[in-house]
Amino acid sequence: MMSSRVHPGLVAIATLVYVFLIGPLVIVLGASLSDTTYLTFPPQGLSLRWFENIFAISALRRTIVTSLQIAFLATFLALLIGIPAAYALNRYRVQLPSWLGTLFVLPILVPEIVFGFALLKSVAVGAGTPIYLALLVGHTVLVLPYVVRVIGASLASFDFSVEEAAISLGSPPVRTFFTIVLPNVRAGVIAAFILAFITSLNDVSVSLFLTGPGISTLPIQILAHVEQFFDPTVASVSVLLMILTVGVMAVVERTLGLTFLAK
Amino acid sequence: MKRLAGWILSAPAIVAVVGILIFPVGAVIATTFMDPRGTFAPYASFFNSGFRTTVLFRTLQIAALTTAISLIFGFITAYVVSRAPARLRSLLIVAAVFPLLTGVVVRAFAWLVILGRNGILNNTLVGLGITDEPVAMLYTQGAVIVGMVYLFVPLMILTLVGVLENIPEDILQASSSLGANPAATFWQVLMPLAVPGLIVGAVLVFTGSFTAYATPQLLGGERQTVLATLLQQRAMVSFDWVGASTIAAIMTAITISVVLVMTRTARRLNPMTT
Amino acid sequence: MTQHLELRSITAQYGTTKVLEDLSLSVQAGELVSLLGASGCGKTTTLRLIAGFLTPTSGTITLSGRDLTRLPAHKRDIGLVFQNYALFPHLSVLGNVAFGLKQRGVPAVQRDARARAMLERVGLSALADRLPAALSGGQKQRVALARALVIEPPLLMFDEPLSNLDAKLRVDMRVEIRQLQRANGTTSVYVTHDQEEAFSISDRVAIMHAGRIMQFDRPETLYRRPGNAFVARFVGFENVIPMRVTARHDEAVTAEASGLNLKLSERVLGRIPDTFMLATRADGLSVSTDPNVNGIPATLGLRTYLGRAYQYQCDTPAGRLVANGALSMPLDPGGAARLVPVPDQCCILALEEAP
Repeated sequence: MMSSRVHPGLVAIATLVYVFLIGPLVIVLGASLSDTTYLTFPPQGLSLRWFENIFAISALRRTIVTSLQIAFLATFLALLIGIPAAYALNRYRVQLPSWLGTLFVLPILVPEIVFGFALLKSVAVGAGTPIYLALLVGHTVLVLPYVVRVIGASLASFDFSVEEAAISLGSPPVRTFFTIVLPNVRAGVIAAFILAFITSLNDVSVSLFLTGPGISTLPIQILAHVEQFFDPTVASVSVLLMILTVGVMAVVERTLGLTFLAK
Repeated sequence: MKRLAGWILSAPAIVAVVGILIFPVGAVIATTFMDPRGTFAPYASFFNSGFRTTVLFRTLQIAALTTAISLIFGFITAYVVSRAPARLRSLLIVAAVFPLLTGVVVRAFAWLVILGRNGILNNTLVGLGITDEPVAMLYTQGAVIVGMVYLFVPLMILTLVGVLENIPEDILQASSSLGANPAATFWQVLMPLAVPGLIVGAVLVFTGSFTAYATPQLLGGERQTVLATLLQQRAMVSFDWVGASTIAAIMTAITISVVLVMTRTARRLNPMTT
Repeated sequence: MTQHLELRSITAQYGTTKVLEDLSLSVQAGELVSLLGASGCGKTTTLRLIAGFLTPTSGTITLSGRDLTRLPAHKRDIGLVFQNYALFPHLSVLGNVAFGLKQRGVPAVQRDARARAMLERVGLSALADRLPAALSGGQKQRVALARALVIEPPLLMFDEPLSNLDAKLRVDMRVEIRQLQRANGTTSVYVTHDQEEAFSISDRVAIMHAGRIMQFDRPETLYRRPGNAFVARFVGFENVIPMRVTARHDEAVTAEASGLNLKLSERVLGRIPDTFMLATRADGLSVSTDPNVNGIPATLGLRTYLGRAYQYQCDTPAGRLVANGALSMPLDPGGAARLVPVPDQCCILALEEAP
């Protein structure tokens, strides 16, 4: 039993679009396994030497650590300040001005590269903030909109009379938030964490301006590396990042179901 | 009381956005109007420079073409995805999310491998005897646009799948029950209902490609300088902070006006929100 | 103009799940037939098969001899009124009504005139330029009706058209639908889960369950003389007692169930087979305190007040039964009583496996 059909020409175009989407990533995977000193596809000879090379290059090794640190810390900070804000925006919607919601969308509206440059000019140079700290606060604000919006969306469908019920049964407000509200928006928190983490980890435009002696993030280091060498190391790093992405998607699948990604 | 609680809870986030984003960006824009040479001097020198206006128009052109191509292919793909059986549909959505979660540097790099002088495409062309020697594909506007479309088509697909899935199936069935053939249903019902979503998708892609840095940097190089790469050069190579700030102000102004105008248009065109 | 619809041994399945099994249905020209049943009974699937949104695994659908089975939906020429109205949100009321005419290549001027005339008939002329979002539920329903009627379809179908309206409007609208349908004489199929709605509006009703039609008859017949235990329970026969005939004297029959004996008469009840089920509504068992009367011995349980009578939950040798008692004589729980079948309120069913 079937419903009406889609025109085969359209199906053919959509198929090509998907080949276009996935093909290049497959090529990167292949190139990373090549035994040659130059980038090629299909790989000639199979080897993991370029994966080993990642860790032989101290600059790459160091920036991987920096990127992961910044991504974790920035996401944590954004959750720390973003969850109360998202809660307030939903719980006290009537009492708070409506522009407050718009305020938290601004970091998406302002071009990232402008934000990065402004951070350099005012925060790093102007206020003399150490680069690492500037990078951290920059990433925190960069990912904040995802936290506020995703958790806000979860809270929007949360029935706050449940919270009132808990309080009427004698649970103090703060404890109620942690035992009643937060568990009910768990999916939103996980999604916000993942989106924020990935956004920070992949960011180029903000980090671009916030490099200093011994401090840089992985994407910036990759850009620099590509401009000097054309060996498969970058392909290997890319594959590592793709594996991380697959891991993240697996976590999402386990906890929320893959359809969640489609929102 | 409640009002106070609301303010207290959102205060840290407000302070962060104001102190770390609004104030610094505002300061950058403000300095462009405080130039010793005159209030609008930095803008005059920007628009009097043939090179910089060329960069501005190139950036606009790349963004417009990227948006148009992404719209066409994104819409067709989203249409097919939204009509696919549930199981296949979620697989296709995951396949669009995956590149989106993979960083921009990785995705630009992939095209470096494909389009390079000794890249796959050139090796194939030479191998098949179609050309005698490698064609210069990298550092062309075409390369930048391909990279940008690659960057933004998944976003377009996901946005439009959401839009199309929100169009109730029974409205399309009502159309065919009234005698509309599939083409008539597409043009007279589906399209008008999708327009607000198409605008939202177009805004996302346009502003994204208008301000993108990594892809034009890797695939366009200096020959295809765009505003973002120019801003980086002025700031980090030439230390011309006034020039960089001017570019930043122009980018911000264009981005925010496009977003405001288009989202307002989308809202006006949306029949669901009358 | 008016045509008859014929479904012949339709089977439909999703994957391996059969949704409809060997279903046949014949709707006479000008008749309004309801498909009635709980959700999942296959009524909506049947409608969608007729509309052309689904294709049956086997069987044929014909409209006055024209085979529709494999015809795409947009070529079937069937007027369809949707549960959620399915109005085009981007078109005005007039645009919605004119849509079908436009597809048929009716010139703009005529299209406009016919759509306006149709809006006049459903009393919406004043709202012709509004968008659907600015209409109330009842107005949307009228637009949906006008949109389906204006193309003068040989077959009109309704998919739970009133389920989103409030109770008062529901009654008004069903009268209106019936009047329009009668006036046009359009053959119609009406899907609903609301028994009162189906019975009040239809010439005939098909009661469906698990992908089959359990009984297809006039509402009066279904209500008074259900053909099987499923339909009996569906139309409110709460008491269904399996029995066995122990003695016959002309039309007087003695029947037995779990040790209780009951005298029944074939004069009112019709022929009684050797094994059968006696079905009654609560109204059909009246509570009596006379221990010698011909009835089912019972211990009275909970009493509820219905306005026209008291209703009792009763424990009997045949299980829990529901019976009504006179208002003049409220009885207390725990008391002994007899439940007397009221002959013209009872119904004899052939014994079958429990559904």
